[in-house]
Order: sequence, then structure tokens, then C-alpha cells
Amino acid sequence: MNAIEAEGVTKAFEIPHASRRTVRGALLGYFRPLPRERLQVLDGVSLEVRQGEALGIMGRNGCGKSTLLKILSGIYAADAGAVRVRTHVTPVLELGVGWNPELDAVDNILLLGTVMGLSLAEARAAVDRVLDFAELSRFANLELKHYSSGMASRLAYAVAFLSVRETLILDEIFAVGDAGFRARCEEHFRKLRAAGHTVVLVSHTADYVERFCDRALLIEGGKVAREGGGAEVARAYLELTRPAAP
Amino acid sequence: MATLALTAPPPRLDARGLIWTLVRTDFKVRYHRTWLGFLWALLKPISLLLVLLTVFSSVFPGAPNFRLNLVLSLFLWDFFAESTKSGVISLHQKGYLITKTRLPRWIVVVTSISNPLITLGVYSVLAILCVAGRPPSLGGVLLFGVYLVHLCAIVIGISLAASVLFLRWRDVNQIWEVITSAGFFITPIVFPIGVLPERYHFLLYCWPPTPIIMFSRAALIDGAPATLRAHLCLAAMAFGILGAGILLYRRHAPRIAEHL
Repeated sequence: MNAIEAEGVTKAFEIPHASRRTVRGALLGYFRPLPRERLQVLDGVSLEVRQGEALGIMGRNGCGKSTLLKILSGIYAADAGAVRVRTHVTPVLELGVGWNPELDAVDNILLLGTVMGLSLAEARAAVDRVLDFAELSRFANLELKHYSSGMASRLAYAVAFLSVRETLILDEIFAVGDAGFRARCEEHFRKLRAAGHTVVLVSHTADYVERFCDRALLIEGGKVAREGGGAEVARAYLELTRPAAP
Repeated sequence: MATLALTAPPPRLDARGLIWTLVRTDFKVRYHRTWLGFLWALLKPISLLLVLLTVFSSVFPGAPNFRLNLVLSLFLWDFFAESTKSGVISLHQKGYLITKTRLPRWIVVVTSISNPLITLGVYSVLAILCVAGRPPSLGGVLLFGVYLVHLCAIVIGISLAASVLFLRWRDVNQIWEVITSAGFFITPIVFPIGVLPERYHFLLYCWPPTPIIMFSRAALIDGAPATLRAHLCLAAMAFGILGAGILLYRRHAPRIAEHL
């Protein structure tokens, strides 16, 4: 069974040449409409992700990868096309989203855990495991504003991985912490895969797509330019982004 | 392709746990490390109350129960003004969550009124104690509870509508502030409604805080509740505003993240 199906997904953003984000501006707009730029971000993208499969998505900056993830996650609405998501999705589009720097690690784990879909009881029960995984048990009661960026990222990673439901949608979040922590994250990621979780992973790092993804897509200009095995698409991506010879 | 469909299982969500965590977080952050903590929230309307009591007691010396009426009205007004003010900007303030997670957005709007609601809860107890010299009947207290539910419905309706409009037009909060500033003076808080000719009373009752305040006074202080017809009109107004707010919110909800 497919966990996710998208068919002909199209998304464009209308960008006015000048901002008129006021009631007065809106009223004026009836009489003097501003010229608008239409930015076609996705143009008929179709994809399927089978249950338990890891799909990599690669492409240059601005090609529409993040917009596609937001549509698959239910954050943006597509202009046209059909999206069917048959499993519960945990989007991790940014590490530490929702952190409150004035609160300590325990409060932030409860906040982020419940925002990402854990019940309050699950989040409370997971506090020690999260702190342990992030190696931050000593700093449990320290406000987050006193954490280094590495410490905060480790904590965010630990909460994100703990909150995973059936399908995990990841947007370029692997480059965190030192080599030891990265190795543990990769190990945890493999365990999630082995447990049958479905993954959609956006990355610019060819190595990750090669190693972790069963299949991959290369997006270019809002369309699927190539589809194939992780290694094949990673090579195509490197080819696409190679600087032109002088 | 002209079709547009997103079919996904609803997020498996512990809504109560999420609401509790958001309320607790807002409360902790708001009063974190402040000298007087939660007392700050109580001091603002109390200081206004003292000023108004001093000035207007001499302007309306013959008005019956003027002080009690002022206490009750001011606390209800403070909740209305503060909670709608928070509600208007609530989605924008939590934009960092809305653009990255599948959090149900209505929860963000509804929890934004939590701090004013806690303050109102404390004041409601104080207001009931204030009239303890002439103990309100149990029926009066229960009716007051019903009016608070109506007030919450009005506030949530306005907040849902204004929060999505604010994302499109960033001066909606300023327009709402002007409306509430003017509204303070057209609500019979500092003046007895009787000082205005009766033909204008209907217009005053069209402004939602007016019936809430007048009915609460009648139930708790005067011991003479409003008529059944008046109650039905209040219910129609409160749940009409809530319904309109929900409709407007639902219309704009799919594009909330794009406007942030």
C-alpha cells in the first residue's frame, strides 16, 4: 500500500511588486491594482511513497522541495492536483521549532513533544529518555537561552525522533552535533527504518540520499526531472549542481 | 488538473494535553521573573478602577450601587478587551509553529485568551465576594456563569475572525484597538445607562459587551434577572458571532501558513 500519493500537484505564489498588507491598501487595490509576479513553484508533481519506503528528494535551492514537503505535511494547500496521505505524518521541517528560550529543557520537551503530536503523558514519560539521548541530563533545569547551539540542536533532534508516528518527513536536518552524536542519530534513523517507518527525506547531501533512501526524485523547475535509485539520483544532482567549466 | 484534494488522517492529537501545555507555557513566559508575577495582570484594571471610582463617584453621586456596578463592569470589560487584543495577533505570534508543524491552528487562537481568562476567573470570585454584603442568590451566580460562557463565545468568535484577517491586513489590530477604545466609552461602564435617552439603548445593546455587563449586574447586584426574551437575544448574538467567526476562519484557514 502507498503511504503517500501525489498526483499533478501544482503550487504558485502571487507576489505583488509592492506590499499592500493593510486594509487601506486593500481598498486602494480595488481602484489601482498592483502588478503581481506569479512564481510557479510546483508544476504537476506526481509521486508515490510505499509504506516502509524511504524516498529522497533532491534539487537546487528554490526548486520547490520545501513547498512540496509542506503540502505533503498538510501545512500548505495545493492549487491543483490530489494528495492522499494514508498514514499519520510527523513533519520535522526545522529543528527546535517552537523552542522557548525562557523555559528550561523539561518545559521545552513537554511543549515541543505535545506540539509534534505526543500526548502529555507520553511527553512526560519521555523526558528522561530525551535528555539522556541528547546527553543533557545535567542541564535539565537550565533555561534554553543558556544552551549552546549544538546543545539545543541535540535536544531538538532527540524530541523530533521520539515523536515519530508512521511517516517521517525530514527537511535537511541531519548536519547536527559532533561526529559521535551524528553517528547515534544515523543509528536511530536506521532503527526507525527497520521498524517499518516510511520516510520522505529532503537533502542536498548526496551521501545521505545514497545511503538512506530506497528511491529518490530530482526536482528541477517545479517538475520531477528524474526518478530512480538513491545513488542514481544523487549522481544526477551532483551533475546538475557542478559549476560550469570556465 | 482542476481537482484539489488533501486526504490525510487527522493528526493523532491529545488536544487537552496540547491546550494545557500552551496555556501553561504562555502563563510561565508572561510572568516569568517579573517582580510581582501574576499580580501585574490584576493591578492594571485595579488601578483603572481606583481612578474611575475617585472621579466618577462624584459625577454620579446618586446612582444606585455605582461602585459595585463599576467593579463588575470593569473586570468584564478588561477580559473582553485584553482577550480580543491577544486573539487578533495570536496566529501571527505563533507563526513559527504554524509554518512548520501540523498543529491545529484553532487551538492557537483559543488558547490565546487563557491569560485574560485566568485573570477574569480571579476577578469573578472577587466580584462575587464584593457583593457578599448583599449575598447574590445561587440563581444569580449561575446566571453570571452563563453570561461568562456567552462572553467567551463572543471573544472566541471575534478572535477567530480577526486573527485570520490580521494575517492579510496588518493594520487590523490597530483598527480593533480603535474600536475597543471607543467601545469603552459607549459601554455603560462608568455611566449609568439611564443617563442616555431610551431610544439609544437598543444601539448600545448591539455592542456585545453591553448586554453581558448589564445582565451580569442585574443578576448579581440588582437581583432582578433580565427577561427570557432578552436572554434569547443575547444567546443569538453570542453564538451568531461565534458562528460567523468560525465560518470566516474556516474560509481562510487553508492559506494561513502562506500569509505568515
